[in-house]
Amino acid sequence: MLRYLTKRLMLLVGIVFVISVGSFYLIHLLPGNPATVILGFGASPEAKAILYKQLGLSKPIYLQYFVWLGNILHGNLGISFISQTTVSSVIRSALPIDAEIIILSQIMAFAAAIPTAMRSARKPDGIIDRVLGATSFTLLSIPPYILIVVLVLFISIKLGVSGTGPSAYVSLGTDWITNLESLSLPAFTLATVSFVVYYRILRSDLIATLQEEFITMARSKGISQRRIMWCHAFRPSSVALLGAASVNIGGLLAAGFVVQYLLQIPGLGYTLILAINESDFLVVQGIVLTVSVLVVAINFFFDFVINMVDPRISRE
Amino acid sequence: MSSFSLEEAALMVEKPEKSEPLGLFFWICVFWIGLNVFGAIFANVLPLPNPLTENFNAINVGPGLHHLFGTDDLGRDIFSRIVYGSRVSITVGIGAILIGFGVGAPLGMLAAYRRGRFDSFLTTIMYVLLAFPAIIATIAVLSFWTPRSLFKIIVVIGVASIPLVYRVIRTATLSVATKDYVIAAKVQGATDRRILMKELLPNIAPIAVSFFLIGVATVITLEGALAFLGLSVNPPTPSWGNMINEARTVLTQNVWLAFFPSLALCLFLIALNFIGDRIRSHFDVTEVKL
Amino acid sequence: MSDDKLLVVKDLTTTFATAGGDLPAVAGVSFDLARNETLGIVGESGSGKTVLSRTIMGLQPRVNTTVSGSSIIDGFEVVGASENEKRTIWGTEVAMVFQDPMTSLNPVMRIGKQIDEALRVRLGMNRKDAKARAIELLELVGIPSPDQRYNAYPGQLSGGMRQRVVIAIALACSPKLLMADEPTTGLDVTIQAQILNLLDELKERLKMSVILVTHDLGVVATRTSRIVVMYAGRIVETGTTRDVFYHHRMPYTRALLESSPKVANKSHTRLVTIPGRPPNLLSLSDGCSFAPRCKYATDQCHLVRPELQPSVEPGHTFACWNPLPINAEATLP
Repeated sequence: MLRYLTKRLMLLVGIVFVISVGSFYLIHLLPGNPATVILGFGASPEAKAILYKQLGLSKPIYLQYFVWLGNILHGNLGISFISQTTVSSVIRSALPIDAEIIILSQIMAFAAAIPTAMRSARKPDGIIDRVLGATSFTLLSIPPYILIVVLVLFISIKLGVSGTGPSAYVSLGTDWITNLESLSLPAFTLATVSFVVYYRILRSDLIATLQEEFITMARSKGISQRRIMWCHAFRPSSVALLGAASVNIGGLLAAGFVVQYLLQIPGLGYTLILAINESDFLVVQGIVLTVSVLVVAINFFFDFVINMVDPRISRE
Repeated sequence: MSSFSLEEAALMVEKPEKSEPLGLFFWICVFWIGLNVFGAIFANVLPLPNPLTENFNAINVGPGLHHLFGTDDLGRDIFSRIVYGSRVSITVGIGAILIGFGVGAPLGMLAAYRRGRFDSFLTTIMYVLLAFPAIIATIAVLSFWTPRSLFKIIVVIGVASIPLVYRVIRTATLSVATKDYVIAAKVQGATDRRILMKELLPNIAPIAVSFFLIGVATVITLEGALAFLGLSVNPPTPSWGNMINEARTVLTQNVWLAFFPSLALCLFLIALNFIGDRIRSHFDVTEVKL
Repeated sequence: MSDDKLLVVKDLTTTFATAGGDLPAVAGVSFDLARNETLGIVGESGSGKTVLSRTIMGLQPRVNTTVSGSSIIDGFEVVGASENEKRTIWGTEVAMVFQDPMTSLNPVMRIGKQIDEALRVRLGMNRKDAKARAIELLELVGIPSPDQRYNAYPGQLSGGMRQRVVIAIALACSPKLLMADEPTTGLDVTIQAQILNLLDELKERLKMSVILVTHDLGVVATRTSRIVVMYAGRIVETGTTRDVFYHHRMPYTRALLESSPKVANKSHTRLVTIPGRPPNLLSLSDGCSFAPRCKYATDQCHLVRPELQPSVEPGHTFACWNPLPINAEATLP
């Protein structure tokens, strides 16, 4: 177990390193002088000089990386051009929103996917199974942003509600009812996308597990169908589910960005896109770095959990 | 082994040759894809109104005789823009995946076949790259690497897809390369090239084709998302993603501007995914359905 | 006289609905089993013996399967009973020991818990009592340091140990009938003997009836009082073990006996095989299923299926138009 963990940890370090190099290099993809582009043409020569020094732009490129890395490790991600506050504070205020949306969406997705997948696996090719299968396939193909457009259309026209906009969002601490209200739409959209993936994967894995001999043995012990599903079939199949969750959540962060932007919820996604449009490059770089590291960290967390559920994996 | 399959195995009955039939819906989807591709290629010669012509006398008109799908908020014909827009989506989709396959597939096959240090080295790199969320990398690169062009979009998405293609092709080749008939061919003295072409390639072809199609669908979806972020082709060039994005602001006045491109996009994606999935299950004779 | 049989099987037929048509895996099987008796069901792969063992206790697959006839375990009719009804006898009246302990144990659940489950769910024991009883059971089946092994995962045990655990689980609720479906196939030869001896011991101690399903005649030779020989889903001969070994009438039985390699033979003795292959159950012809491979087959054998008829000894029946002469001998393997 320990050897497995250390191997994975080393891999994690390697990946984070690659991410850092990639994020660092982004600035140099910009056409022209980075300092000019970042600060804009109207910037004063002093501001340019400070930035020059900060980024170490006069030095050769590999040294620049270390200058940059040093800054990062001190928590200094630069200054946001738009808001004139530090990038790290921008990120710090936006991140909890993304976290909440994702958590909410996953709770909904799992709560819906697990019972339905169990049901479908017990009676494959029944009516419910077929309907769910066709629906999920269709939904899988529809991009989340289209779902949003459709939902927004539906909600604003039919129900006459608008409750979106940066002012509509309120943090949990202040007023949790409005908070949940404002986040329900993005959470629901992400939940739908996740549900579809989880349902299909869990169902197919359950069907495979249910054909195994130990299920027949459990049956022969005289225990109930429900117990067989939940205590015997679910656990081996949950590995596949957790694997799917791991991959899915990484993709969700990105899908969530678009959704946030459409609904004007001030999470990382919204901030990122605004920054792109306003050419606030340091913010973009900061968010890309943060999100990438987070995604990788989440993946590794899930790896760990999977290992706890099914110890066979680390024993190999 | 459940008691059912025990019986089948014990009887030494030849498994009935019935693999899952392609089905009517499959061919409908193929037709639909073909139609879209035809439209994209021959858009210039088809009798379509100019997609860029603005006409302020006919803003936000609904579908009708003059304008099949209506007009957008600048008076441009929606139907024509959708047909021209398909060019962007299809070009990006196919272009990017071609890059991914062009690099990822040969590497994957070679690595799976040769194994050894080449394989471990390359695979570790690829898996590290895979852990990095591709969408974010794409957004990042495209937002910095300005000015934008269709070419750059294709290149960025294409390169981003290489590790995934590598992994899928390598896994598929691995499962075939360890089969006895490949080892038998090797023992008989077949050259590597012959083995690759005659034994491995035909066997991974279904999975490769299936993944190709699904990959195109994913890339097209991605392009749409990029359009929403303002990272796709610049207006006034039409693309499905662009149009849906523009439609957001006039959602209440002109439903059609959102509806038709969304429909076009969704139908195309559903068709692609379905074909890809069907091909995979049709050729996967090992997956016996009970 | 109270003819109190533990198991009465009458005309049991199991048909699978497959892509290639209806497959009669078991057809018209009838026999009975007294209390404390051990019966052997013998046949090649594909003879239907496994399907029979599962159908007898109602454990056949739930989809695409039709069962007709009757199987009464201690007064309970299994055929036609609902899953809920069958659950009342599973574990407490009848239990099964499966062939491959690697696949019949849940790989991600500790073995102690798997034994507990039977005790707590079926007998309503609380956690403490169940654990104590589970450890007792582990000891009963001969697992060393049972209180430590209690927490092990199946993957951490050897094949023989795992099979003992499977037996422990089967015995947990003290069933009256134990079905052992090829309990030692796939285990090392030395372990095989151990497990079989264990089963013998346990059946004495716990006063159980055992049905031993196997293709290996050596297994049933000394451990069963009666034998049922199956071919292509039907019984072709049945009688006391002695009668089947020494006084068999059906040529298939003779062929089976001859084909088991005997230690007493000189080295390099040719292995005797039965020519041909078992029939495709999807396209059975009218006559005797063994006719295509039988050296005594006549036209009648190919055209009409023989019914079971009695031989000289009581309780000995066989199905053949050209049976071997009475008192034909074969040596015990």
